[in-house]
Amino acid sequence: MWNYDLFKRAITLSYKRFRRILAGEIMEQRLANSLIMTVNEKNFIEAALLSDLRVDGRRPFDYRKLSISFGREDGSSEVQLGNTRVMGFVTGQLVQPYRDRPNEGTLAIYTEFSPMADPSFEAGRPGESAIELGRIVDRGLRESRAVDTESLCVISGKLVWAIRIDLHIIDNGGNLVDASNVAALAALSTFRRPECTLGGEDGQEVIVHPPEAREPLPLIIHHLPVAVTFAFIGKENVVVIDPTHHEEAVMGGSMTATLNTNGDVCAIQKAGGEGVLQSVIMQCLRIASVKSGDITSKIKSAVESYNTERSLRKIKRHNPPAGYKH
Amino acid sequence: MEYVSPEGLRLDGRRPMEMRQLRAEIGAVSGADGSAIFEMGNTKVIAAVYGPREVQHRSQLNNDKALIRCEYTMANFSTGDRTRKPKGDRRSTEISLVIRQTMEACILTHLMPRSQIDIFVQVLQADGGTRSACINAATLALADAGIPMRDLVTSCSSGYLNSTPLLDLNYVEDSAGGPDVTVGILPKLDKVTLLQMDAKLPMDIFENVMQLATEGCKAVANYIREVLIQNTKQLENRHADQLSLSLFRKLLLYGFCSWRIIKFLEKDVEEET
Amino acid sequence: MEAKPSSTSSSKFVDQLVVPGDVILDLSSMANQTIKLGGGLRQDGDSISVMKAGTLRFTKPNKYWVESSHKRYVPSAGDNVLGVVVDTKPENFLVDIKGPALAFLPVLAFEGGTRRNIPKFEVGTLLYVRVVNANTGMNPELSCMDASGKAAEYGVLKEGYMFESSTGLSRMLLSSPPYPVLEALGKKLSFEIAVGINGRFWVNASQSSTVILVGNAIQKSESLSMVQQKIYIEKLLKSIQ
Repeated sequence: MWNYDLFKRAITLSYKRFRRILAGEIMEQRLANSLIMTVNEKNFIEAALLSDLRVDGRRPFDYRKLSISFGREDGSSEVQLGNTRVMGFVTGQLVQPYRDRPNEGTLAIYTEFSPMADPSFEAGRPGESAIELGRIVDRGLRESRAVDTESLCVISGKLVWAIRIDLHIIDNGGNLVDASNVAALAALSTFRRPECTLGGEDGQEVIVHPPEAREPLPLIIHHLPVAVTFAFIGKENVVVIDPTHHEEAVMGGSMTATLNTNGDVCAIQKAGGEGVLQSVIMQCLRIASVKSGDITSKIKSAVESYNTERSLRKIKRHNPPAGYKH
Repeated sequence: MEYVSPEGLRLDGRRPMEMRQLRAEIGAVSGADGSAIFEMGNTKVIAAVYGPREVQHRSQLNNDKALIRCEYTMANFSTGDRTRKPKGDRRSTEISLVIRQTMEACILTHLMPRSQIDIFVQVLQADGGTRSACINAATLALADAGIPMRDLVTSCSSGYLNSTPLLDLNYVEDSAGGPDVTVGILPKLDKVTLLQMDAKLPMDIFENVMQLATEGCKAVANYIREVLIQNTKQLENRHADQLSLSLFRKLLLYGFCSWRIIKFLEKDVEEET
Repeated sequence: MEAKPSSTSSSKFVDQLVVPGDVILDLSSMANQTIKLGGGLRQDGDSISVMKAGTLRFTKPNKYWVESSHKRYVPSAGDNVLGVVVDTKPENFLVDIKGPALAFLPVLAFEGGTRRNIPKFEVGTLLYVRVVNANTGMNPELSCMDASGKAAEYGVLKEGYMFESSTGLSRMLLSSPPYPVLEALGKKLSFEIAVGINGRFWVNASQSSTVILVGNAIQKSESLSMVQQKIYIEKLLKSIQ
């Protein structure tokens, strides 16, 4: 009997010690995973903003350098905004439509936040920020009807195209929302889906033509909703555009406005954080409309050069150089 | 489909700038430190607050402020069809995040370091404007729990259909595909803390719609203030009553116990003789 | 690390780029010599091979090491580093120095430090400290005093901004003759700078614009050659005028 009591006591004590050690280790791991910030940084960022200066030399309403490039396949894009890198992939599949929308195709956005981009991301299930990012991009594209879904219908009620956008975060240098949005738009603009015709005896059979037989079709995109993110830093809520990783760590709140060049506001996301005056919000929207014009023209010119390059490649394929025999 | 008739009446008979009827009840969940039920028309939401209490996962402990956690779920029976996945899906996670960040902005977290505050919000009946109802219910529950706050947070939604700005959309108006603007404000400071919008709107019309939602928030704030004052008055009376009630209950219990003991002893004595 | 004695001959790889796996010395062909191995080299039986990619350096009489630049730091005793406090324990402050493990700074390791006047460092305090010992597998130990027990310049760095760089840039900033970029900036602007050999440097000045300018100039100059650096600095200083 006394043996059992001692045994139980030993187990409880060692378990308690184990838990304490585990808590210490987990604390160290959590410290190792998050960004190590000094108090100097927070004070300096706020003080410098009072003279309209940011740590990387930008002014409060300057964007970082944006570069858009494409992969070999249609519908793959890579965007670099400062130190932030995001890749977007668009794929399409034939599926059954939703019961309440039998004539429309579907659009779905999936985000992949791997710990490679930032040690504070956890592998496996998407965390809160991953889901929020997906929802912001989704709201900007889907609710504003940027992509025409009715043209994705093949057989009403039976078969429609389901477009899936995968966003992979490669490097987190701050402001993932804007970079991911541009990646999604660029990938959608260069995506081509195979052409399908109805055939068979009753006209219900769908023939999907391979790209070699018939030229695949691009998506019909009505407008490009561009996301512009603002951060509110410090007690006076100074507004900066396109925050870096360090600015995101010290900000009191942020707001993402998605606008297009037609002057429409497509989506706004300000999820809590410091309260701001309504006049500040309207001012931010006006600045955002200017910035979205810049970004839209960048996307359009990048897509155009990709398209010309693509048609050149096709011409080379169909007209092989002299001396080449099949 | 016509959402605003030519006479200026909406589908449920309201005027464009009219809010649905508000109803609030504090103290619905007796086991929680603070709780409230909030109704906006047919939308009914219940919120419960636990805390400030000891942090459950020591790895998340924050040395200078309280940890705020929030969970938003929709009951299976809340919408017309029974929902398969009431929590854990992307929409619920996002709304949980939004509510948490909104309440975090108004709670004075630095007064309660190394502690945890849990906010649970569940939608019992969904008829549009669930996000706003959740935030209003959470504010009431936090006030009921006595958690120090900078200001109340109130929220209201608005939209734009048939070229008219509409206040406080219900489900039919919400699913019409038009814009849906949800605003959350700190009424005394007159600052916007939550702003979400989807679908397309030209910028000047957006300003009107946002202004309308802000007015709605202020109206909700007045109502919530009233409810809290009423509740505090009631609590003062309830305490006095409860004291006497508990004393009465104690006397009853002692009386009953002593009667049982006497009976038992009598039986013993009887058996001996 | 000392090896078997061998004859006098230096490796033909000195001042050349080496990669992991390269064998720089074959000890069986040398006799009766003492060789000192520094960082990036290891002894594998009779051969000395490279562990880290970089440039092989040699100083008389017999020291070999690999000079490389990385983002993470290998703690070694006697270095001056910039650390950030991440936690406080009863006996030590836990300080991050970009090494494999957090370093311990004893609460008494300050000039005139007693149990009664333990400094209060909040999480996120930036410190200029000295590495006392750094044995492999153990947490490194730091001190805010120099070898004789005086405070010297060690301690808290207030205000200013800390920039992250690489160990190579830190070495260049601390080299003598002084780094040209630093010298040129110092002639025109007045600022304070503290360089940690662990790939961090801190800049402070009376104006935020100076701090931002100096910090970004140093960071950008890392990838430029000597000539390009001169041109870059000239352009920069002209644009301030």
